[in-house]
Amino acid sequence: MLLFREGSREAFEELFSRHHRAVVRFAWRMTGDPSAAEEAAQEIFLRIARAAPTYLPTAKFTTWMYTVARRATLNYLRDTKEDGEKVPILPEGKGEDGVYPVQLPGPDDRNPEQVVWEAQLTERFRAALGELPEGHRAAFVLNRGDGLSYEEVAQVLGVTVQAVKTRIFRAREMLLSRLSNDLSA
Amino acid sequence: MGCRDIRESISVFVDGEASAGEEASVREHLASCERCRALERQMRAVGAGVRQLRGSVPDRFREEVFARLESEGALPKRKKVFPAAWRWAAVPLAAAAGLGLFLLTSREAVRAPVPRAPVTSRVETSAPVALSTEDREMLALLDILEDPAVFDADDDAEGMDLLAPGDPADSPNPPRGGRSGA
Repeated sequence: MLLFREGSREAFEELFSRHHRAVVRFAWRMTGDPSAAEEAAQEIFLRIARAAPTYLPTAKFTTWMYTVARRATLNYLRDTKEDGEKVPILPEGKGEDGVYPVQLPGPDDRNPEQVVWEAQLTERFRAALGELPEGHRAAFVLNRGDGLSYEEVAQVLGVTVQAVKTRIFRAREMLLSRLSNDLSA
Repeated sequence: MGCRDIRESISVFVDGEASAGEEASVREHLASCERCRALERQMRAVGAGVRQLRGSVPDRFREEVFARLESEGALPKRKKVFPAAWRWAAVPLAAAAGLGLFLLTSREAVRAPVPRAPVTSRVETSAPVALSTEDREMLALLDILEDPAVFDADDDAEGMDLLAPGDPADSPNPPRGGRSGA
């Protein structure tokens, strides 16, 4: 990124080659729609390029990149919401301690780690993920999907590590509630 | 610790983010609670579910991103293969290369002259050509030049009237001015 800031086009091409798959994947998980993901991912790279002149390496590049990516997808989701689609987005810092109508599934005989995520189940999972509040979804996707630590997720989302713990826990509970029939025997 | 209170810690434990004390508490609880062991497995399963959502990079994604960046001027221009300084150097380099090639081919020509095919063979292989009147006259003149006797005989027969007395044509070796009569 520093080389790109100094005017190296090749540096940006390398940066793009390394990260474009992760960016598209993140956008896909956050929006749940291929065309929306493509549009959001394009916007993410535009923002990265525009931000180059003022970029300061205060954190890991990937942490900064996901910060840009999350803001871009958040804007996209807000725009979509304004267009009338149902996308749950909670204001920053709220919702972590809120009460959600969660009913945990009972014990089962199947080992969930052995569950085969067939296309149908994946689709239901995608739909359930899309119903999570954006802040919870982002925390869960960044941690479980992209492998960011709680600390890194907290930096990306601009919240405390404790808030990240809570968001991820809530996200899990909501997903389990929606997918209980798929995960229970 | 009761089941309700330890759920969040199980989530943190599943993510590998639990502190040593928290991990010990979770392990102790799981060892004695079948219901929470099932919950732990389910929590791991939904984490795996996120990774199943991979999506795919659209075909022309790279081209479209770079086109948008180019149109915004947000991307530095690609460096040219031959910068301006090298372009000026190209002229003398090309001249030197041309000269070298000329010298090389000249030497080759001296060393190994190309053998000429015998003229007769060309004549033999060529197809017969119909000669025009003018061509025939030219050939007749060539015959005269190759055979001075014919030339002299013609001179005696036709050119006498044209020559003034004492004209060099009278000499035993007349100049070629006699051709003007043809």
